[in-house]
Amino acid sequence: MTRPLLSLANASKRYPPTVNSGERFRAFWQLLWRGKAEGGTAVLEDISFDIMPGESLAIIGSNGAGKSTLLKIITGVLAPTTGTIEQNGSVAALLELGAGFDPEYTGLDNLRMNAAFLGLSRREVDERLDDILAFADIGDSVYEPVKHYSSGMVVRLGFAVVASVRPDLLITDEVLAVGDESFQKKCIRWIEGYLADGGTMLMVSHSMYQVQKLCRHALWLDEGKVSMYGDVFDVTQSYLAWHERKDARDVGARAGSNPDAPYRIRSMTLGENEGNSLMLAVGDPLEVRLELAAPDGRSPEALFGIVRADGTPVYGVATDHDEIEPYPVGDNGWVVILRFPELPLLPGGYTLRAHAMDPEGLRVCDTIEQSFTVTGRSRELGLVRLKHEWRKP
Amino acid sequence: MSRSTLATFVLLLQRDVRARFIGSASGWIWLILNPLLLLAVYSFVFGVIFQARVPPGLEMPFVAWLAVALWPWLMFSEGVLKGSQSIREHAALISKVSLPRELLVFASVSAVFLLHLAGYLAVFLVLVVLGIDLHWAGLPRLLLALVSLFVLTSGLALGLSAIQVYVRDLEQALPTVMMFWFFLTPILYAPSLLPSDLGAWLDLNPLTWWMAEIRGGILHAESLPGWPALAMLLGSLAVAWAGHRIFRRLSPYFEDFL
Repeated sequence: MTRPLLSLANASKRYPPTVNSGERFRAFWQLLWRGKAEGGTAVLEDISFDIMPGESLAIIGSNGAGKSTLLKIITGVLAPTTGTIEQNGSVAALLELGAGFDPEYTGLDNLRMNAAFLGLSRREVDERLDDILAFADIGDSVYEPVKHYSSGMVVRLGFAVVASVRPDLLITDEVLAVGDESFQKKCIRWIEGYLADGGTMLMVSHSMYQVQKLCRHALWLDEGKVSMYGDVFDVTQSYLAWHERKDARDVGARAGSNPDAPYRIRSMTLGENEGNSLMLAVGDPLEVRLELAAPDGRSPEALFGIVRADGTPVYGVATDHDEIEPYPVGDNGWVVILRFPELPLLPGGYTLRAHAMDPEGLRVCDTIEQSFTVTGRSRELGLVRLKHEWRKP
Repeated sequence: MSRSTLATFVLLLQRDVRARFIGSASGWIWLILNPLLLLAVYSFVFGVIFQARVPPGLEMPFVAWLAVALWPWLMFSEGVLKGSQSIREHAALISKVSLPRELLVFASVSAVFLLHLAGYLAVFLVLVVLGIDLHWAGLPRLLLALVSLFVLTSGLALGLSAIQVYVRDLEQALPTVMMFWFFLTPILYAPSLLPSDLGAWLDLNPLTWWMAEIRGGILHAESLPGWPALAMLLGSLAVAWAGHRIFRRLSPYFEDFL
């Protein structure tokens, strides 16, 4: 069995209080005598995962979730407050915008310095210098101070150095977003080659497209805790769905079930699942059972709608559109069962919303909704899979 | 020390040395010119205005006697000051790159020693040209004293640089402390010029020992190091050990406080 390249066990990080000098002094004293400081803000809590050689792991999460702190712990810039980190590879290279670059010095000086940080000796740098400069492709700018560089040029230089080192573990923090189109392509090609040759990568990105393209696993960090860890498609889809739901929540609170309405919803069941969330794959059947209550013996109408988790409507249909009548079940109850034999929704988070309407189909009396997630390894774009075929010209 | 660590150290050292001259048109000339101008100023103030005299038994201008001890002091005080600032100065690097952080302090102290060593050489050259009677047989003793001075300076700089990350006040206090220390060390005066009950107190200042050692060999023709040289070496090693322990203890948390 191969050993993991990197192994985090219950790593937590608290930033000690550093605002006023009294707190700093107390922390200093505690660190000096006891080796740890008390109090502070928790940034990471109980993170455990292994990276095996050849794995590609993405770390995703919203701003302030602790991604960069986690990278700092992994690269050894920061010591975890509790927990352990074990590293078996020789070189871990962090690629971050301008990391380790001193703006006062020329690109060439910074290149040499960065290469030394990554473990190259002077002779090795001299041997690879031409390759590095060719990869960076910034011309005579290498002889100018880095403070005159654009952010794209800084990333080019940084990436070129890392590419020449071929580290055991490559760690990238949002670098690809900066370079221009052609350099991005060059970097992605290089990363793909590096991964194909058995390289290991850890990547922080907000671009789910890049994450799905380059990584096989993903770790979703939320407020310093691991929210989900596993296959990249499952994790990124749940992450995106979570974001869409959050956006929708921000837009405005939804109406809940209304007990005073004349035509009420007693219950809604999605598939066999009575619980809160349902997972299904693209193209799976979906069955909805809705129980309604009517006070006057007349059959109410039912309206169903599917919306994307961010609130974008996808499809809606009502019983009176198709001239269907709910089925009476006694005690003023009515039942409707709606079945989608092959639900063509693309992976993501969705909400199924059902409304009870008066028998005339004019007034919405009661609403119920339930969210479900569609999973799959598809990278198609949009909401639904349209039937399509590719033809030869 | 692996080859890449060595490469990092050399690059950091080059950077520190060059940082002194960046922006000045003919930087390397100042390296020699500065100490000589400084020497001229001291020679005017103490030789001409104060009419300072060398201790009895020596036949040389006061400025020669002063210069031999002044440069090691400059190495020490500037090494401690610059070295203890080096961690805060490289905050950007420390929060991004994982490297042996001691290197930053060592590079900074080494740069100071190298630069002042160049000045020291220039001073000796001038003294030789002026025909001052120097005892070259004492040179090994002088060099040994400089080595232990480097160890002492590095140790102090390591400890202080780590503490300074947490206790910022140190940055304000250190230059004043160094100034005070300068006048408590027999550099501008000989210990023999003090009343004898004060002279005994002077020995509590470790730098007194270094000054005696440095002048003893090259000026007083006492070319063999005695037990004080050994004591200084052991003492400075002890300081370096303590400084390194403090540094090791505090360095994992630098990033939190920088």
